[in-house]
Amino acid sequence: MNTSKSLEEIADLLLKIASLLMLSGANTERVNLSITRFASVLDCEVFNLTSQKTIILTITDNKTKNSFTRVQNLPPHKIDFSIISAISKASWNAISRQWNFNEISKKIEDIQKQKRYPRYIVLIAVSFSGAGFCNIFGGDYLNMLVAFISTLAGLFVLQFTHKKQFNGYISVFLASLTASMIASTGMFYNLGANPEATLATSILFLVPGVALINSFTDLLDKNVLNGMVRFVHGVMTVLSIALGLFLAMLIFQIK
Amino acid sequence: MIETVLSLLEVSIWSGIAAVGFAILFNIPKKAIITVFLLAFGAGFIKFILLGFHSNIILASLTAASFVGLASMPLAHRIHLPPVVFAIPAVIPMIPGYFAYETVLSIMSFIFIEVDISKKTILMQAIFSNGFTMLFILISLTIGVSLPLLLLRKSTVKKIN
Repeated sequence: MNTSKSLEEIADLLLKIASLLMLSGANTERVNLSITRFASVLDCEVFNLTSQKTIILTITDNKTKNSFTRVQNLPPHKIDFSIISAISKASWNAISRQWNFNEISKKIEDIQKQKRYPRYIVLIAVSFSGAGFCNIFGGDYLNMLVAFISTLAGLFVLQFTHKKQFNGYISVFLASLTASMIASTGMFYNLGANPEATLATSILFLVPGVALINSFTDLLDKNVLNGMVRFVHGVMTVLSIALGLFLAMLIFQIK
Repeated sequence: MIETVLSLLEVSIWSGIAAVGFAILFNIPKKAIITVFLLAFGAGFIKFILLGFHSNIILASLTAASFVGLASMPLAHRIHLPPVVFAIPAVIPMIPGYFAYETVLSIMSFIFIEVDISKKTILMQAIFSNGFTMLFILISLTIGVSLPLLLLRKSTVKKIN
């Protein structure tokens, strides 16, 4: 049943699945497992090299032993756990119900069309986590209000610069500068019981938690290259956060 | 006594809210939000109780993350989602952002500001202790989250009953 053309289509579908998972912040082992599962449903064997910016994949038809190779570059990452869970569910359904090619590709197209939460909900929710961090580090409710406002402004700048397609580290730097400037104002006027807590927590929403956790997950799975890439990306982000904070502290002469 | 418990509860609730904020940033499915809140609340509760008994912060984070990892296995079966989707946002409030920021600030004042050699030695100590604490907390969070799969030697929780 598998002609050479459909082998090409299968390779494209598997690449689409792999790149969707990688962009949404899945660890490398999950990407490899998912496309192996989908390939087994389509009666193929798949061998792949997954990295942060490129995926190389060769599929072999189990019956005819024909094979096909394709390379794809990945756009910038954007974490989306809904896509990860939807693809995981689809892979199990594909195995248990023996889906054919068209059913799988239709399901993947549906998953791509899923909507994200509206922008204002994300802004408010993340600002509440900024306030929550401030409480954890011993701030009182006035400090938490300042942390809320600085996180809100910082995330707004981050989203705006992302939309204008700034370099990722530059936009993190600008967001960190904005957030810590507002928090430093609170420290300048000595608002609340513990203004240092506000300054330390106003920038925590930028910390690349998923990249850092995934880097060690990849290292545990012996995907050393991807693990190191994610770790270095995390360290670079932390450096740009610290640069923004450092600049704000210099401007306000905070020791 | 009651005051301690109340402040503990307050901090744990705010850890839960912080985790939910990140969960929405990561666009998790709507039905997982309450699960994330409960997991992060439990993890925060365990971590701050242990810190109250003067436990090391790395061990406290490892225990709390292991709780998240182990509890996420039955929950994954119940709400039919892969465990990473709610386990990672639940440990995000425990990410050592504070230690990372202390490390980098110490490095920057080491390079740009301090000239006095004895103060530079103090900064050196701060860089090493904060930096390695950050690394070890990160590793313990990862181990805690992937504990079920590491212990049961499986690559997916789907087949574990």
